[in-house]
Amino acid sequence: MPETPRHNLPAEPNRFVGRERDLDDLHDLVGDTRVVTLCGVGGIGKTRLALRVAARLVPAYPDGVWLVELARFGRAELVEQEIARVLGVREEAGRPLLGTVTARLREQRCLLLLDNCEHLVHRCAEVVAALVAGCPSLRVLATSREPLRIASELIWRVPPLDLPDEGAADAESVQLFMDRATAAGTRLDGASLADVVRLCRALDGLPLAIELAAARTSLLSPGQIADRIDDRFSLLTTGGRTAPARQRTLLGAVEWSYDLLAAKEQVLLRRLSVFAGDFDLLLAEQVCAERPIAANEIVELLGGLVDKSLVLCDEGRRRYRLLETIKRYALERLRQAGEREVLRERHLHVLCALQERHFATEVVEPGVPWPRRFEALIASRELIDDQRVALEWAAESGDVLLGLRLCQTSTGLLPLGGNLREIVGWIERLLSLDTTGVPAEQIAHAMAYLAYGLEAKDELSRSLETARRSLAEMAPDDDFPRCVMHNLVVVVLLRMGRAEEAAHHAEEGLTVATRSGDRWNQAASLAGLSAVALVRGRLREAQRHGEEALARAGEHGHRWLMARTAVQLGAVAEARGDLAAARTRYETAVPWLSELGSDLELSRCLARTGRVAAMLHEFGSARERLAAGTDIARATGQRQAVARCLVGLSVLAECEGDLEGAVLAAAAAAGLRESIGQHSATTRFEELLGRARTKLGDGRTTSLWSRGRAMCPDVAARRVLAGERLPPKAAKAPVTAEPVRHSVLTAREQEIAGLLTRGLSNRGIAGELVISPATVARHIANIMEKLGYTSRAQIAVWAAERSSGSG
Amino acid sequence: MDQRIVMVDSGTGLKLTEEQLDERSAVAAVRLRHKGVRAGDTVLICLPVGPDLLVATHAVIAADGVAWPLPVDLDQATLRDRIQESAARVMISNVQRALDAAEESRVRIVMSVAELSGASPSCPTGR
Ligand SMILES: Nc1ncnc2c1ncn2[C@@H]1O[C@H](COP(=O)(O)OP(=O)(O)O)[C@@H](O)[C@H]1O
Ligand SMILES: [Mg+2]
Repeated sequence: MPETPRHNLPAEPNRFVGRERDLDDLHDLVGDTRVVTLCGVGGIGKTRLALRVAARLVPAYPDGVWLVELARFGRAELVEQEIARVLGVREEAGRPLLGTVTARLREQRCLLLLDNCEHLVHRCAEVVAALVAGCPSLRVLATSREPLRIASELIWRVPPLDLPDEGAADAESVQLFMDRATAAGTRLDGASLADVVRLCRALDGLPLAIELAAARTSLLSPGQIADRIDDRFSLLTTGGRTAPARQRTLLGAVEWSYDLLAAKEQVLLRRLSVFAGDFDLLLAEQVCAERPIAANEIVELLGGLVDKSLVLCDEGRRRYRLLETIKRYALERLRQAGEREVLRERHLHVLCALQERHFATEVVEPGVPWPRRFEALIASRELIDDQRVALEWAAESGDVLLGLRLCQTSTGLLPLGGNLREIVGWIERLLSLDTTGVPAEQIAHAMAYLAYGLEAKDELSRSLETARRSLAEMAPDDDFPRCVMHNLVVVVLLRMGRAEEAAHHAEEGLTVATRSGDRWNQAASLAGLSAVALVRGRLREAQRHGEEALARAGEHGHRWLMARTAVQLGAVAEARGDLAAARTRYETAVPWLSELGSDLELSRCLARTGRVAAMLHEFGSARERLAAGTDIARATGQRQAVARCLVGLSVLAECEGDLEGAVLAAAAAAGLRESIGQHSATTRFEELLGRARTKLGDGRTTSLWSRGRAMCPDVAARRVLAGERLPPKAAKAPVTAEPVRHSVLTAREQEIAGLLTRGLSNRGIAGELVISPATVARHIANIMEKLGYTSRAQIAVWAAERSSGSG
Repeated sequence: MDQRIVMVDSGTGLKLTEEQLDERSAVAAVRLRHKGVRAGDTVLICLPVGPDLLVATHAVIAADGVAWPLPVDLDQATLRDRIQESAARVMISNVQRALDAAEESRVRIVMSVAELSGASPSCPTGR
């Protein structure tokens, strides 16, 4: 298996200039301090510096260095959501996401880099405070215009790049200018150096301003740029006279660069501010092509903006983005031009159209080969941040109709994409607005997706009620969502133990789906029928429906559906005692789920595979599968999934003849389930305990059970996975201080340490040794640092102990 | 140890003994080092005349730095100029005007008297 990278830091786009001392200092400070916040105006280089520091720290954090970019989010609750997404943590039903994230990071040594906290600074402060309080080895490096103002924070103010002084012209700011000018294809000779120096001073060493100026050197000489910038700064009005000087300088430079743009470039730049984050050409063409810009002009205009350093892009020019500072400026210009509403509207429409198309390709249309469906799925996921921005606008502008449409067209917002709560939030929010004029059928359609989300959140009765209302009011010819609803109701009713009613809906769904040639829902309905038959103990029927479901799913091609039906068949095989067949079925689903990145379902499937393999006495692969399933469960922060894997591990242990391990693992699973308010599969446990009592005796079994219930799930899992014996009762090991060797001190320092035991003051020691008190103080500071002491008095104690010990 | 009094705070009448001076400045010196102060670094100190100023100055010297005191009653513009001139990376101050004046300087870290004396945000598990 390839080693997964332990960071998600982007490659640097161009040369990084200077700041060597800062990098060294920050490297040490981050190790020493829980939270370091890099503060300063936009464009001063906070992000770039933070990324550099973080990259250097990768080797120091075994659990990774994780960049969380917050610029594109407007709403506070997205802070923890984005942290979770980056870490691969999934929401658990019935627990706040932040709780799951904190639990997941508790034991980890990792560094979180939160970039651009300023606009969500309060929530960032709360989240960081909670994380730091709950996770002792976690470090946070943040960038923000404003500090978080929490207790554990060190505020580190980022200065501009060094300015050239009279003699030395190789200052950082000049280096940056030269480098970017060269990159723009300009060759500057020595003669222009004086002008470059003047320009860098006028720009106050602000990196973004310098880059914008350097990008113009193909047209203007540094001297010309310096003159114009000077003129401009004397006239500068935007931003107000009260704004801090650096901010004014930066704004001045941005404005100067903007004013130099061709009219169409200006229009495009400000329109680009509507995108959530990075975007591709296609999206730009669809959203921004409106008078005076034609769609086919956009590629060239974008290229022009990239040349002027106002827009960034990756090497392949596949994704474009705006620096936050530029984006804010562009958005302001868009507002002034009176185009904001129009553009937001367009953005919403375009997103709707695109996501509807992707959804149709991924799920609804017949006869689409899987690679194309998969492409659509990926494309749709790439739009998710823009979709959120568009939904936000729909809610803000009261466009319930389009908002709802957008909700029901993206698997990324659905539990199917591993996203539990979000769809519920959006639909509830939209439905709480004024819905006059929204057709009842549309509302019913949206409620279908609401019901779907509620089921994933384990709110079964609300889900059922919503689904029923949705079915009652949906247009009769809205076949696809109708079938989706029937199939959802099947799942809900089965979970509620109402197989009779479930069967009815499954049949209904199957009829409609067959009539309309809808493979997706045929497969889902047949899988439902198979599940119903299984519950009723009609195994042959269950098998028949299951096989047909898998065939339909295969014709459709969607891996999620195929995996679901394969797992259903595995369950049927298990029920009739055909473990080998069950194993094969479960195994086939594994690569499908891996391809989709559906980690929750993958973990579940691995747990099943492992359990069955264990029963077949294929211990090696059972162990491997269960280990993989446990890893995913842990990494995604899902306690329910961890419990499921523990049950599998209990089976493995018992099959291997380790009855004690089996009881421990089962007890740990039961304890974990109880802690999240879940019922355990009691019959399985009762049977196990019965066997244990016979073999191990009552007392031993009871004591193992209570020990296992209190056991940390990870420890219990490791015990079975590694075949470890019971670990010794973990003593509360204090953080053992490193043994300090006397020899780290110089002879002089040892001498002074000795004198301290006599209770001498610095002055007294100075007199004794005939040196100055300041020198004594310096030695003492060195001794404290070497020994890791935080007070002078500690040295005396230490020295006294040493001399009595050795003497 | 020496109970000799080395300073009296004219405002509060509180006395600083030699032992306290030695101990507090030793602690503060280590704090400064942890914040990245290195041999030869300039450290700005803007505190009212009194024991804290004395301790801070001793600490900077013990940390091998160069103390650069700023009188608290300088006007804003002069403060700003002096700060600029110093090119210091670290400033010790509780004085709001000095904090404001450091706003657009090259000062990276501002330490309060409290942070200097051990009430520090740095984590106990850090070392
Ligand atoms: N030390 C540096 N070396 C090279 N480029 C830099 C440096 N600092 C900043 N930049 C560039 O200047 C621009 C603004 O920097 P950025 O880190 O985005 O600022 P901030 O995060 O403070 O808004 C970016 O294009 C960045 O690549
Ligand atoms: Mg930034």
